[in-house]
Amino acid sequence: MPLNMYLRHMFKMMFSLQWKEFNRGKSVGGKLVAKIFKWFGIIYFAFMAFMMGIIASAYGGPLAEFPLKEDSIAPFLYVNKQLIYVFAYLIVMRYFVQSLPVLNIKALLLTPLLKTKIVRFSLLKTVLTYFNILPLFFLIPFSFLLAQTGKFEIIGLIFWNINILGLIYVTNFFNFLLNNKDKLIYAIGGLLALAKGLEYYAIIDFTEYSEQFFYLFYSQPYAASFTWLLVFWLYDYVNKYLLGGLYIDTGLQVKTKEAKMEDFSFLDRFGKTATFIKNDLRLLKRSKRARTAVYMGIGMLFYGMIFVPSEEILGSGFLFFGYLFSTGGFLFMFGSFVPSWDSQYYPLMMTQNIEYKEYLNSKWSLMIIGTVVSTVLASFIYSFFGVNAVYAVLAGAFYNIGVNGYLTLWAGAYTKSPIDLNSSANAFGDKKAFNAKTMLVGIPQMLLPVLVYYFTSQYYDHFTGCLAVAVLGTLGILLKPIAFNLILKAYKTEKYSTLKAYKTN
Amino acid sequence: MIKIENLTKKYSKQTVLDILSLEIPSGQTFGLIGNNGAGKTTLFSCLLDLIKPTKGKVINNDVEVSTSEDWKSFTTAFLDETFLIGYLMPEEYFYFIGELRGLSKIQVDNFVLKFEDFFHGEILGGKKYLRDLSKGNQKKVGVIAALIGEPKVIILDEPFANLDPSTQIRLKEIIKDLSKYKDTTILVSSHDIQDVTEVCDRVALLEKGKLIKDIKTNKETLKELETYFKG
Repeated sequence: MPLNMYLRHMFKMMFSLQWKEFNRGKSVGGKLVAKIFKWFGIIYFAFMAFMMGIIASAYGGPLAEFPLKEDSIAPFLYVNKQLIYVFAYLIVMRYFVQSLPVLNIKALLLTPLLKTKIVRFSLLKTVLTYFNILPLFFLIPFSFLLAQTGKFEIIGLIFWNINILGLIYVTNFFNFLLNNKDKLIYAIGGLLALAKGLEYYAIIDFTEYSEQFFYLFYSQPYAASFTWLLVFWLYDYVNKYLLGGLYIDTGLQVKTKEAKMEDFSFLDRFGKTATFIKNDLRLLKRSKRARTAVYMGIGMLFYGMIFVPSEEILGSGFLFFGYLFSTGGFLFMFGSFVPSWDSQYYPLMMTQNIEYKEYLNSKWSLMIIGTVVSTVLASFIYSFFGVNAVYAVLAGAFYNIGVNGYLTLWAGAYTKSPIDLNSSANAFGDKKAFNAKTMLVGIPQMLLPVLVYYFTSQYYDHFTGCLAVAVLGTLGILLKPIAFNLILKAYKTEKYSTLKAYKTN
Repeated sequence: MIKIENLTKKYSKQTVLDILSLEIPSGQTFGLIGNNGAGKTTLFSCLLDLIKPTKGKVINNDVEVSTSEDWKSFTTAFLDETFLIGYLMPEEYFYFIGELRGLSKIQVDNFVLKFEDFFHGEILGGKKYLRDLSKGNQKKVGVIAALIGEPKVIILDEPFANLDPSTQIRLKEIIKDLSKYKDTTILVSSHDIQDVTEVCDRVALLEKGKLIKDIKTNKETLKELETYFKG
């Protein structure tokens, strides 16, 4: 067989390997639901991007001058202003959400497949990921509509697009280098927050520089060659970087951290519940996968902020939704994966001298502790927005504790996707941090309290609306024994199939 | 101690386990041997209520395992790495198991210390989480953890596989020591006929889910099993 035909054949085989991995994976049924939801999300975001493209081409953004003067190019400038944040955000999002190609690298190493092929395949596979395609849904209608106004040079716009696309690919390949460099990504995240803060207090406005920089892409078309040179250089660099790591004692090695004992014996007074909480605290500290739940919980504290400035447009219902989420972040991020956190040693849990009730109670307790801590922090954060905001935060907290805690736990009995806690620490490792299912369970839990609040506050006032939700939550707290019995039943009937689902790991 | 009545497990049409009756008296060291797919692990999983049998029941010390959880207080097991918690250090894991069995830290420390020889200096006081230990060392931790808290029934699935020679010998000694206690029932499965005949009072041979032989171990047992597996 001539070499190129041989290679083509190999390439095909690798694709089929990927397909089988996807198709024959564990827990197909549960995966299907998650997949449908994922696609729903993908279409939703693509649609949103498309609409934003259309809107942005006419108005720019909320801060652009309005009404627009004749011949104004304000919308274009506004988008250029924001691009710096868009790219910073893109880097952070990619790091947490985009999973790098997981090929069964180790097995392939001993096949007659050239190492360069293996790496090139993994790299090229990322070219068509969602993160690279989604921006086009914004860029194309946006640019097309701008071009139609006749105020822009077509060539300039085309090269502006080519440049932006180039930068998107820069972030794509950059993600490979960032993989597992947690400190770096938190530094970038921190800088992003700092930049936003400086802008907010009008100390330094980075958007000015952003506008000038990205405008160059339009006014100086040849700039595109630099961007794409950077893309190809980076591609080449990552290629070599990964190639150098194709040894089981370097890039493919799972790095291990030195272990440290942790005592937590101050919790012992809480009896058997404490035994599990101690373990879960260790889990949250030591598993990267689990730590993400904590970080996201912290991030969610600020979720209400998104809705505060847009209350007049979106209405008070959305604002309430934001507050509800800000205290419930940890509860959802951790609770949605009970008992999946223990999936790797579920048989152990099921044979130890413990009752299901104690086990579930400990998980619930941890969720509630997290919610209480979140509530204290959120009350502080939102106290700057007045006492009404604090009422809403507290009402949301009551509902989260009294209702959402149980619902999340109950739904957990049916969530049978195992979690690989040890997945971490190499350039090819999967690090998909959250699951679409989390959101799926989340929606009905959020809708009811928002509706209760909305209608009560429409008939009476804000305070009564909050009170109504808080009363629901309090009722839930009082009904704990009944709720727990129902949850217990669900877990008991699902025990065997859960064990089976976790086993096909 | 353990009574199995009419136990069958079917997956669609394939029967993977079909045992009419089996009784293991208290204090016995019971060995289970068979080729791959004989149903050894399935049987143990049924004993531990990890798999729901299609028919029949398992009674552990008068407790029917699928209806009551009371058997958990006197039964321990180590089947595979799903009985380990990867993000714990060995000591923390021992304490966790100990706590569930009502032992204090000091009691656990004293108990585990007895096996220092067995651990060969690679488990205690190390700076590794269980997930970072080698397969063999993980197994050592799992097996010893199953002995914590004076359980009446100990179930070990292939405890000798993947262990280095010295550890295998030491583990056999540990199991033999345990079997001296009149009220400790031990169930061990293995691929190695020599291992089981050496350690167990009684050896049962499983083939395609069925009990083929049930022998009180004697001088001829090894030969008998050998001739069977030869063909």
